[in-house]
Amino acid sequence: MRIAGYKLTLAKRETLSGLQASMISVLAVLTALLLFSLIFIQADVNPLEAYKEIFDYAFFNSYGLPLTINRFIFLLLSTCAFIIPFRAGLWNIGMTGQLYAGSLSAFAVMYAFGVKDAKSAEYPALIIIPLMILAAALGAMIIASIAGYLRGKYNVNEIVVTMMLNFITFWLVSFMIKDGGLFMNPGGRGESFELPASLYAPLYKGVPFTLIFALGFAFFLHWLFAKTKLGYQIRAYGENPTGAEYAGISTVRIPLLVFIMGGALAGLAGYHYFAAVPGVYKIARSYAFLGDLAFYGIICGLIAQANPIAAIPVALLFGGLTNGGRFVQGKMHLGFGIDYALLGVLMITLVAFQFFYRYQFALTKAEKESPDV
Amino acid sequence: MFEFFVRSLDASTIFTIAAIGELIGQRSGVLNVGVEGIMLFGATLGFIVAQATGSYLLGFLAGIAIGALLGLLHGFFSVTLGGDQVVSGMGIWIMGFGLTTYIGNPYTGPLGMDRIPSVLGLSPFFFVGLALVILTKFVLSKTSLGLKIRSVGENPSVAEVSGVKVAKTRYYSSITGGMLMGFAGAVYALNYNPVWNYNFLMGWGFIALALVFFSMWNPYILMAGSLLFGTLWQLSLNPQLVLPGLFSRYIWRTVPFGITLIVLFSMSMKWFRTRWGAAKPDALGQPYLKEE
Repeated sequence: MRIAGYKLTLAKRETLSGLQASMISVLAVLTALLLFSLIFIQADVNPLEAYKEIFDYAFFNSYGLPLTINRFIFLLLSTCAFIIPFRAGLWNIGMTGQLYAGSLSAFAVMYAFGVKDAKSAEYPALIIIPLMILAAALGAMIIASIAGYLRGKYNVNEIVVTMMLNFITFWLVSFMIKDGGLFMNPGGRGESFELPASLYAPLYKGVPFTLIFALGFAFFLHWLFAKTKLGYQIRAYGENPTGAEYAGISTVRIPLLVFIMGGALAGLAGYHYFAAVPGVYKIARSYAFLGDLAFYGIICGLIAQANPIAAIPVALLFGGLTNGGRFVQGKMHLGFGIDYALLGVLMITLVAFQFFYRYQFALTKAEKESPDV
Repeated sequence: MFEFFVRSLDASTIFTIAAIGELIGQRSGVLNVGVEGIMLFGATLGFIVAQATGSYLLGFLAGIAIGALLGLLHGFFSVTLGGDQVVSGMGIWIMGFGLTTYIGNPYTGPLGMDRIPSVLGLSPFFFVGLALVILTKFVLSKTSLGLKIRSVGENPSVAEVSGVKVAKTRYYSSITGGMLMGFAGAVYALNYNPVWNYNFLMGWGFIALALVFFSMWNPYILMAGSLLFGTLWQLSLNPQLVLPGLFSRYIWRTVPFGITLIVLFSMSMKWFRTRWGAAKPDALGQPYLKEE
């Protein structure tokens, strides 16, 4: 293509610097938001106004901001749960199932302490809360390890396995909280029993302490991938599993390990949303929504290009976007599912932008040619 | 009991059609993990068009058309751009999940049209599915077109040298596969369960994907697997027919997914692995970029 004496060509990239890579991500997000304006226009809403409302509510509103932060914690944990296996070239799309398993385990701890029947009693939070967190991580790890083991040992496609586990745990949650299940609310509304006030997660200025986990793990993972032998092995396996085997890296251990680590983080995300977010403190009837939200972990992971530090701003942005999206949906009378539609548009735009990891447009001064006749 | 049998066949048919679509694509070396997304799109658009026009035919055509379009999109990402096919498939799935939730929401509820008449007591789509299986098997193993498709999936560079147009063949296979997946979705929403609800497929597409892996890319085994899973699915919805009172209904709903896991696990047997390895299209999931 020629533009005013310059020639626009497509050239294969030799290298991709960090700056270029982040430029691609930023461009992809901007393009997706631009495309998404079409949905606002179709619904007779001015896109600029809609985005302004979204950002105002998400980041500058005293009601909206805490919700954004809670979603940010949830998304960052989900994103890290996706990133760890992704570094090893594996797809963990089972964050949903893992977070369900994690929250069920956390509720099982409370059930064991008899919380269901004596809600108003005082409980030793210093013992039970750490136990709940451990249980959440452990329950999710067990579910995730199935996918990792089958992949490592028998090369079974992890996408199918994690998806099956998502549906199994989805119905298990229903089993536990509905129709007289063990965790059903004694009031019988098809939701779980509520946390007693003494077991609410500690807050600092309205923010649950789980924020420390989310940020801490993001930095920990960065260190793990950059500085440790294990991180190196994971990356080597991700780039070339066969080559890694020749280099003495266990092709059974790495897939199992990345899924166990990823699962544990997704379990913490489950603990966070069902047991630490103010105003929730139970597994609600509409728990499927949080499972769906976890799919944003895939998108954040891809945008952050599997970099846990980059995942922090990305998760914050999408925590805000999904939260603000829900808000304008109600305020501007848009159809249900604006945040779902955004999920869809973002994902496909990202896929298209993958192309630019390998190719780039080059603008060169066109050589003098005889003008076309 | 006959009713249960008919419903099971209906469910099996949807698995069969979608999985045959995936099988054709995979035979040509294109892995599409977005089956569920394409089915959701086919189902939602088929549902909307049928309800708006009152015509089943237009509904099915809409489902097939959007399937073809998504098959083309997947072909573009994975053949022309030579990108990661899993990334593209995941993109199509999440796009389908996200956009159909928004687009279909105003249509939540029953379709409100007369049911499609049955043929010999069975759903007409059962015969369509059966014909598709036989036709696919015939084309893939007995015709030169089938040879082209398989050669492109096994060893694209050799195929190219022997004069087969790799990109074109893969495009056609991906589009045909997409059409079948879209059609399968439309059959679900217009015949099997004509009520729209968000993300109503709940894993059908992923089970279809698993069926293809398990079938060793043989349409007959695939059909047998679909019959098993169709029956299981139906059983999980109506457990009282066979084992009344045993387990909660929610536990029954996990059964088809659990069985899928067990089936995938059983593929780890040595007997199976050798045959599976031999049947697997060698170039499955690998982009083919011509040397320049």
